Amino acid sequence: MRKVTSAPSVRLKLALGLLVALNWSCNNDNDDPQALPYGSGVLVVNQGNFTDNNGTISYFPPTGSTASYDIFNQVNQRSLTGSVQAYEEADGKGLILVDNTTAGQDKVEIVDANTFKSLATLKSPEIENPRSAVRVSANKVYVSCWDLSGDFSNGTFYKDPGYIAVVDLTTHTVTKKIPAVKGVETLLLVGSEVFAGSTGGSTKLTVIDITTDQLKTGIEIGANPNPVAVDGNGKLWVYSGGEMIRVNPQSKAIENRLKIGTDKTRSLSKFRLSADKQYFYFVSSFYDAADNYKEKGETYRFSVNDTSVPATTPFIKRLFSGLAVEPQSGIIYGGYTPSYKQAGYVFRYQTSGTLIDSVKAEIAPSGFYFK
Amino acid sequence: MMRYRDGIILSLLVGSFSVTNGQTNGTDQTLPAVTIRGTTPERFSAGQKTQRIDSVTLEQFRFQTLTDLLTYTTPIAFKVYGAGQLSTASFRGTSANHTAVLWNGININQPTLGLSDFSTLPVTGFDQLAVQYGSSASCVGSDAVGGSILLMNNPKWQQPGFQASVGQQLGSFRNYGTQLGIRFVSAAGKRWQIAGKSFFYTTNANNNFPYRERGNYFVEHSITQQKGFIQDLYFRNQKNQQLSVNLWLTDNDLTVTPYDTTVRERTRSQSYRFLTTYETNKLTLRLGWIRDVIDYARGNFNTPSHSETDRLISRIEKEFTHSYQSAEVSLRLGGEWSYYRTQVDGYGDQPIQENRADLYALLRMQWPRWLVSANLRQAFVTRFDPPITPSLGVEYSLLKTGKNTLTAKASAGRSYRVPTLNERYWKVLGNPDIRPENGFNLEAGLESRWIPTGHLTVTTEATAFRNRIDDWSYWNPESGYRVENLQLVVARGLEWSGTLNYTTANWQSGLTLAYALTRSSQERVYNVYAQDIIGKQLVYVPKHSGRFSAFVAKGKNRLTIQNQVNSRQYITFDNIQFLRGYLLTNVLLETQIKLGPVATRIQGQINNVFDTVYLNVKRNAMPGRNFTIQLICNLNTPKQ
Repeated sequence: MRKVTSAPSVRLKLALGLLVALNWSCNNDNDDPQALPYGSGVLVVNQGNFTDNNGTISYFPPTGSTASYDIFNQVNQRSLTGSVQAYEEADGKGLILVDNTTAGQDKVEIVDANTFKSLATLKSPEIENPRSAVRVSANKVYVSCWDLSGDFSNGTFYKDPGYIAVVDLTTHTVTKKIPAVKGVETLLLVGSEVFAGSTGGSTKLTVIDITTDQLKTGIEIGANPNPVAVDGNGKLWVYSGGEMIRVNPQSKAIENRLKIGTDKTRSLSKFRLSADKQYFYFVSSFYDAADNYKEKGETYRFSVNDTSVPATTPFIKRLFSGLAVEPQSGIIYGGYTPSYKQAGYVFRYQTSGTLIDSVKAEIAPSGFYFK
Repeated sequence: MMRYRDGIILSLLVGSFSVTNGQTNGTDQTLPAVTIRGTTPERFSAGQKTQRIDSVTLEQFRFQTLTDLLTYTTPIAFKVYGAGQLSTASFRGTSANHTAVLWNGININQPTLGLSDFSTLPVTGFDQLAVQYGSSASCVGSDAVGGSILLMNNPKWQQPGFQASVGQQLGSFRNYGTQLGIRFVSAAGKRWQIAGKSFFYTTNANNNFPYRERGNYFVEHSITQQKGFIQDLYFRNQKNQQLSVNLWLTDNDLTVTPYDTTVRERTRSQSYRFLTTYETNKLTLRLGWIRDVIDYARGNFNTPSHSETDRLISRIEKEFTHSYQSAEVSLRLGGEWSYYRTQVDGYGDQPIQENRADLYALLRMQWPRWLVSANLRQAFVTRFDPPITPSLGVEYSLLKTGKNTLTAKASAGRSYRVPTLNERYWKVLGNPDIRPENGFNLEAGLESRWIPTGHLTVTTEATAFRNRIDDWSYWNPESGYRVENLQLVVARGLEWSGTLNYTTANWQSGLTLAYALTRSSQERVYNVYAQDIIGKQLVYVPKHSGRFSAFVAKGKNRLTIQNQVNSRQYITFDNIQFLRGYLLTNVLLETQIKLGPVATRIQGQINNVFDTVYLNVKRNAMPGRNFTIQLICNLNTPKQ
């Protein structure tokens, strides 16, 4: 990577340092503020408007509501140039998954997790349509990739197979591509296995052994299964076609299929486990034909022990483009996107569903990383 | 996501237009009565700014596109998607649908998209170019909201003879261009005089960049192949009756990411334009046919999404002129009828057909110091009601001496555009009930010329404008890119330009400076989050733009420097993100060698001299410093 030595960059860094220093001084914290400007707090993944290639990452400090915007650009003097799909950290490094409009221009930016200084860029053909990342062991991260996508209208959009890139963070290289189902999507680490979902039409949940980086026998679940989380009872939950499916992660046996809601016109997404691992939150949405097809919806909640989920009474009366739970406090973060051409907002709620505050983010806040 | 070309950006328009065969420079006129003719938009747009691009500049850009030329000579902002890719105009802070492009008086914007892709219009495709600033919908019709681009073909009646020319361009990145043509004009003085031009051009832009990135930004690979054919024929007699036939075929074949058979994207745009005109001193009849075809395919190029639109255009205009004491009065009455037929995959299986008509009256009154124009137009469109469109313009000569002229100008006019076919007929996203936009343009300016000595000429022009467009219709990202008339946009600004030419017996030199301030913003609160975009600069419209060019010439040798500077272009409605501003500089060196009857012009050019990294709307880097050389051999056999 090019070294940043230009005068504007120095000024920016000084300004940034000053900002952080002011914040920290308010907190009466004596640590050197410039050393770890992004050492703790919340990162907001702003997907951006796809054709504008303008995804960004915003930073919220641990306290207060003064956000810093497009921090990758602030530190590195260049934008991420793509839709940002996800952010994952491992061993002091951050991985930013970037999907560009043009094939061959997708990438994973590897940054210092504390300073956001760029360390390396993984590019095509190692990375094509990156979707999700998970740290699996020391200096090893899996990145699910659809590979090159074709023509949606011809039914050849998802390349078969997709793959999971094995990233070595000591050398900053992709050491292996594990073939996976087409449209491979969400990754979840459970013990020594990674479960990989799909959006490409597979009915099986892919299982990978993280010690050998080899595929194991998959689990037949249903249409487009995606792993969600392991609850307080040690059970794996997988979402597929309007159902949350409880799976025994050891025996791989399906224990229960819980139907979510009854309204077929609604689409369900963003299932997130509460901090106490007893509840799932999710978003239910639809396009309102009576109001120029604007997307509308709300956020609901159910207990891992519920036997039915009618989804008739919203937990939060708002549609979110991103949803996450802060693991320590249980505070709920909801990203809201007014349109893909202006900044979105992040609404924060107590575990009771009471609104705490809202903070402006950037274009289409869709994910969060708590550090 | 929708596809760009055949989806979101689009729309339609129709045109109207006006007469022409415009003699924009006096030397072309041998028969005195012809002086009456002129491009209607210009003659009846008193009080408005018109910029003519000189023939030297046209010659310098003859292997480039209209985008290249206009970015170095006007403040029009272009949204460019990549080298050789889609390029749309924003004139005075308006949208891509608000610039009319007229070819010999006929609007040639794509009816489906309501715009022209300026990357598909090569400078070599026409003989003369003028840029009309501001709304002139009453003269021009739909689309002329921000301004109009006037392309004209004209025979050189005064230069009888035969000319053949062959041109070849070689450029960096394995980019080539070839042009072949003949022109002829029969001798004057006979009962009939005949003139014609046949011209063929082709461009192969392989864009074989030696880099994949510039300044850590990707450079997208694309290939553009362009072909075109022009055939013009003119017959006129001593009674000053003239019959003209103009034909312009263009074929633009763009492939993005060409080497990956899964993701490559091909957009092929073909246009067939045919126009025949009969003119006498007082009467103009026109008949035209235009077919626009766009094929878009991704991956498999054998089954593209197809769009095809035909237009039959007819127009009649009659002009009445009278002199009352010191006043010269011209009244031009016109009527136009067009038939549209379009078949677009995105509209459904049935072709869409519609009729459009325009009635208009254009009045021009001239006194020694005053020039006034008052115009009125009413358009009629099947299933749509355009508003009546009046305009009034005034020019007053404050000073007129041998050395100095100073003219004050002002104009006010309503504008409209017929929504694009895509806006009205695209399945689901289009809106057949869309209301017309309601635009009102005001402008005032001063123009002066100062000739202190025989060697020096100084001209300058300053203009202030305010263009308010209500019910601005656009593909609203809040409702899944459905078309809505939601916003109120106010564009205001200042334009200043100045030229200085110094000529001696052996040397010629000149300077051109121009600056434009364009402040264009959305002003209506239509929901709670619109608060964040009130008063914010429109996307892709730089607030400040400057142009600077200079040349020095001795005989046929000329050194030219062209510069453009643009401030940041915001890419989000709330202005939180932008593409950085940039300065671009080109240097041109040209000379001419004459061997017998063959004159060869040689032009060497360095583009982007400082290797500036600047970004297009996909946030990819545009090409760095590059070189071209062009040779044009002209064989002239003048007739006495």
